[in-house]
Amino acid sequence: MLNKIPKWNLTLFVLIIAEMIVFGMINPRFWNVTILLNSFNDFIAISIIGFFVTLVVITGGIDISGVSIIGLTSVVTGLLSQVVGINIWGSILCAILIGGLCGLLNGVLIAYGRVQAMVITLGGMLLYSGIAIVLVGLSGVSTYEGISGFPEDFSSIANGEVMGIPHSVILFIIMFLIAYILLHRTKYGRYIYLTGINQNTADYSGINTKRIIASSYVLSGLSAGIAGVVLTSYLGSARADYGSEYLMPILTVVVLGGTLITGGKGGVVGTALASILLGFMQIGLQMAGVSTQYIGLATGVLLIVSVAFLGINPEFRLNMKRILTQKQHIGG
Amino acid sequence: MPRVRKIFKQREFRTFLFLVLLFMVVGFINSDYLSLQNIDRSLKSSLLYIVLAVGMTFVLLTGNLDISVGGTLGLSAAVCGTILRDGGNIFLAVITAILIGAIIGLINGFGVIKLKISSFIMTLAILSITRVVQVIYTDGKWVENIPANFKELSNIDIFGINLLSFIVIVGVIFVQLYLSRSSKGRYYNAIGDNAGGAISLGIPVNRYIAYSFVISGICASLAGLIFVSQIGFVSTNAGAGIELTVIAACVLGGVSLIGGIGTVVGAGLGAIILTSINSALVFMKVPAFWNDTISGSLLIIIVVIDALLAFHANKKAKKLRLNARVL
Repeated sequence: MLNKIPKWNLTLFVLIIAEMIVFGMINPRFWNVTILLNSFNDFIAISIIGFFVTLVVITGGIDISGVSIIGLTSVVTGLLSQVVGINIWGSILCAILIGGLCGLLNGVLIAYGRVQAMVITLGGMLLYSGIAIVLVGLSGVSTYEGISGFPEDFSSIANGEVMGIPHSVILFIIMFLIAYILLHRTKYGRYIYLTGINQNTADYSGINTKRIIASSYVLSGLSAGIAGVVLTSYLGSARADYGSEYLMPILTVVVLGGTLITGGKGGVVGTALASILLGFMQIGLQMAGVSTQYIGLATGVLLIVSVAFLGINPEFRLNMKRILTQKQHIGG
Repeated sequence: MPRVRKIFKQREFRTFLFLVLLFMVVGFINSDYLSLQNIDRSLKSSLLYIVLAVGMTFVLLTGNLDISVGGTLGLSAAVCGTILRDGGNIFLAVITAILIGAIIGLINGFGVIKLKISSFIMTLAILSITRVVQVIYTDGKWVENIPANFKELSNIDIFGINLLSFIVIVGVIFVQLYLSRSSKGRYYNAIGDNAGGAISLGIPVNRYIAYSFVISGICASLAGLIFVSQIGFVSTNAGAGIELTVIAACVLGGVSLIGGIGTVVGAGLGAIILTSINSALVFMKVPAFWNDTISGSLLIIIVVIDALLAFHANKKAKKLRLNARVL
């Protein structure tokens, strides 16, 4: 049974446990379950986008435009509900759909226009955050204060709880399950892997790889839309610059989760574990009295060390395997 | 006239044409935009991006990516700024800044070559690390009160042309000649075009990839010096997000992210276009918040047109080859 779980995920799990023990010893409040569960709010946007960026990365692409789709959907939600006056749920739906639309634009240009994913999503990043700023500018809302005054129902999306479990944890699980089932339990998921391993081969075996690639970007855009709504609900106001610092954490979560940046390999479980690891680390460091500004150092070092030494690097893994099997031969 | 026709066919010429068109259109709406003074000012504000784009082009040519330039810029600017503020020698400050850039480049190169980390991830991690190091070094404060004589350096005029602009333009031309005319310079293109082939030819691929990162780091620290000189203070988030603008500038100028295609001149022109849009908006009396939307859509449109052109050229070439074989 244990053999079936990928080793990397096990390592991540052990790391999370170790992290909890260490931070708990520094500050016993870290062991408080309520605080830990509520801390999900701080990184849920990162993990939601991370789940679906994982799909994109597995197809061999990359999506960095999610960070500005957060701001765009946040502004759209605020404008539609507070300025235009549409029902809050209607405006949330519109905002998420707009996120999907942004993803569709990315996906179509990348899959059918044959442009490098990095370039298009970079352009998209500028474009979508630009649109968000333009919307704020045209509507005459204060850029710094943002659009606030949301109804109680809306803020309960992120801040409410069911039977003591915060909504953010439930949302985390739901989004994880959606991504997990899509990637690991459906034909579509197998196609995503095949496309990432060898797009030509996948093409010849009758898979419409262009549609697969384009749809993965749509999913990523939709997830960024959801993240934008959740973040707006959590922070209580809509602003264009939400998420602008999430580029690094999102990619860290995906790569730390064991997904190969060149595509074809990886999984959502790793992304989920890595996002929890990163999120708890942030909380733990804050509780240990480290300033938020220094957390980048920890994530950066963690990223390099994990990618370089801990087995995501295929060559390293191969060498390790060779060493280990040799030992077995000697032993047996 | 085959030489002239060859120039017309170059990708950089199209970028240049676009730049001229931009100036013409904006100049048509507001003739002040075409004044020499404004052109000089546009060039001056784009110097920083040109220098960064030159370094980035080296890395992009080898098929890698350097996201850490913003962090390198900030760190070297902060270190140089504090040395100058505390009354240090200008040469000491400049050399320290360049050393910092070179060291960060070496670390990037080490990670990419020896640890075999994808350059995107390696430089992204270094970016966040350098940012924190900068915060620790400056204690989270802005570096201010930089002596006036250093700030004056960016304002020296010779024959009505800004000295710094002149140096940068001459530098870009020299780098271009190095990349396109010398055999060592061609290595960068060769590595990006076909790394396996380059190894077979006996090119020390790994060493040149490391060189490209070091050059990019040094260019970033030079840009940091320009930043200190032009702006006169260093905030903790100096150069935040600049790396993406620089990559966008390179792509606008026809440098391919896959590697092997592109020139330094094109990247520089791309940088000028991106900064000119800023000032163009001011002259056209468009609110500044349109800036990102326009740059982003411009980038996407140009890249897609490029890709379509390349695709059709490929198709045509394939057809020609097929015909030649059949006949």
